[in-house]
This record gives sequence, C-alpha cells and structure tokens, in this order.
Amino acid sequence: MRASCLGLASCAVCNQLMRLPARRTGLCPRCGSQVYVRKPASLSNSWALLLAAVIMYFPANLLPIMTVMYLGSGQPDTIISGVIRLMMHGDWPIALVVFVASVLVPLLKMIVLLYLLLSVHRKSTFRRRERTRLYRMTELVGRWSMVDVFVVALLAALVHLGVLADITPGPGARAFAAVVILTMLAAMSFDPRLIWDREEDCQ
Amino acid sequence: MPDGSAGRNDTRELVACHQCDELQYIGVLAPGQSVRCYRCDALLARNPAGGLLLPILLNLGALLLMLLAYFLPFLTLEIQGRLQTTTLPGTAKALYEAGMGETGIVVLLTTVIGPVVLVTGSLYVLLGVKLYRPLPGLRHIMVWIGHVLPWGMLDVFMVGVLVAAVKLSDMANLVVGPALYAYVALIVVSTAALSLFEPHVIWARMDRMGVWYRAR
Repeated sequence: MRASCLGLASCAVCNQLMRLPARRTGLCPRCGSQVYVRKPASLSNSWALLLAAVIMYFPANLLPIMTVMYLGSGQPDTIISGVIRLMMHGDWPIALVVFVASVLVPLLKMIVLLYLLLSVHRKSTFRRRERTRLYRMTELVGRWSMVDVFVVALLAALVHLGVLADITPGPGARAFAAVVILTMLAAMSFDPRLIWDREEDCQ
Repeated sequence: MPDGSAGRNDTRELVACHQCDELQYIGVLAPGQSVRCYRCDALLARNPAGGLLLPILLNLGALLLMLLAYFLPFLTLEIQGRLQTTTLPGTAKALYEAGMGETGIVVLLTTVIGPVVLVTGSLYVLLGVKLYRPLPGLRHIMVWIGHVLPWGMLDVFMVGVLVAAVKLSDMANLVVGPALYAYVALIVVSTAALSLFEPHVIWARMDRMGVWYRAR
C-alpha cells in the first residue's frame, strides 16, 4: 500500500512518517522541514531545469573550454576537440574517461530524464522498477561530469608562464558547469514516486 | 528504531519508501545490515558496522587532512626552469582571476566548502549523539548535511587531477606537492567517514535524546 493512499507522507529530509492529506503540506515533527506528499511542482520544475540544461548544452560544446598557448602558438579547445587531442596523443584510457564523463554522461542523463518525464506524463506502467533504478543511476552518476570543469580550473591555475606557456579558461567551461548543475537539479526535482502513482492502486 | 516514531512497543518501524512511497516495516538492523524496498529496490535504511566512535575518529582525521590539503602547495609546474605552484583552492581563484568567478564559486563549493560543511557537520552531530548531549542546532545541522551531501565532489576532483596531469605531461614537469598526498588520504578517510554516517541511525538516536522539532 502506498503511503499517500492512507493520507501519510514521509519527510524528504529525515524520512519520518506523518499524517498528511493529499495536496497538503506540514512541518515534520522530527526535523522541522516542510513535508509534502510529493515534491511540489516536481514535473514543471524538472522540465524547466532540463530544458535549461539542454539549451546550455550547445554553448558548452561549441564554445572553447580553454585556450592553450605553448611557445607562442596554440588554439582554443572545446570538450570534443580535447578528447580527440588526447586520443591522437595515444592517451586512450584518459580520453575514454573524459569522453564518458563529459560527453556520454550528460547526454545520457538528459535523455533519461526526458524519457522519465514523458513516461510519467503518459502514466506509463511499463517496467516501473527498472525506471526507478534508471532514476537512481542518473542521480548517482551526474556529479562525475564535473571532471572537465576541474581540469580547466587546475590548468588555468598552473599554467601562467607568459609567452612560454599559458592556459586561459574559456566560456565553454562556464556553460558546461551550468549543464552539470542544471541536470543535477533537474534530477533532484523529479519525484520518482510519480512513476508509481496510479489511482487504481489505492483501492 | 525500538522506541522511536512507530510508537507503542513495536520493535519494527513503519516507513514509506522515498522512491516509490510503498509502506513497509523494517525491523531492527544488525550492524552492517541494510534493507531495500521490496517493490522498487531503493535503499531504505542501513546500520553501518563500527558504531559511532570510528566515524568520529575518521572525521577528525579528515578535518586535520583538510588543513594540509587546502593550505599547502598542491601541484607545481616546471617548464624550462620556471615554476608555478597552486594550492587546491587556488584553482578556484584562477578561474575568478580569468573573469569566470561563477565557475570559480562552483569549484570552491564542490571541493572546499561542501566537504568542510559535511565533515565538520557530521563530526558535530556524531559527537552530540555519542555523548548523548542535545548540543544546540543538532537538528538543523542534520538537515543541512542532507542538502549539501550531493554537492561534495572531492573524489571527482581527483579524476580532474589525473586528466590535467596527462594533458601537461609533454609540455612540462609536474611536481606533486604535500597537499596532494594529504588530499588523496583525505578522499579515502572522508569517503570512509561518510559511508559510516547513516542519517537513519542518527535520527533514531536523536529521537531517544528527545531532540524533536515539536513534541508529540
């Protein structure tokens, strides 16, 4: 039996179960947080944040994340060109790590969130357990995309030797950090309990 | 939770899965045991082995390592005899100086402020619970820890260090600073501390201490 069917809700912060009629809100007696039966405006918040992430995904990939100048010559690097450079250099394992963290994970995460949102709108009952598992994976894996932002920060801090060598961060890194944060927030606003909500189940 | 929210004298606790809302009872967990939701397989609760003393010591250790990791030289770059050194927070400062202050703040929050809040916060809460003292703000700090948890990215930054090292490998020599050793130890210690910090157990303990927002 679902808690919401019995007019119960659990606190998102401390998991305390409390009596709370549908669409009502109250303070958790244990930790004082605001408790909702479902995350408020979960779908619209999640859609908005996902849309913002998709929009930022373009500048994140098209703009340079940094410019490397070495002995007077150099060129701006985007995320993809950085991966290609590592590959051409023969650093396959590291190229793979960057590709997975910076290209694959954000893309898959946005696709999964899109799929989960659409499936909830369609009131789908297809493989709910697996869809919940999919949601857990996107929550778990999202933070690892921040790798490239850290790489840019490290290189910008280390390589400042004038004409000899100089690395300046580019606006792509800012957009990319925004994508990572926006997708994390979109996943946090999504309420996986919506996957399981069906009127019939309360009877 | 023997004497907690389920009330009465039941040793079982009624909980709703936070991922599918299914009501279910969980019994008293043996140390090292965890339970998953029978319907959606989400983790419902764990009872980490090791009690409270071990995570207290680990968090203390993490706090000391943070002093070393954040203030000592992290990496030094050497190109044709010229040197450039950075600390870990210096990476955020470099972004700020390049006109990307917002990105710098993101780096600072995820690698310094977030981890510091998590380590000091959980240390404070663990001490309060271990000493059975309702220290001021216990509840608020527990709530804060929950909010900050996803934003601590010490481990992710380590991968960034590896990638940066490879990218610089044929341009320059990299000298590992003392802070980097402390930082690697910090990842191990703080990850262990966090894995032994189970909010479910802490809240149940605080129930018994009478740390409630509102008396029932």
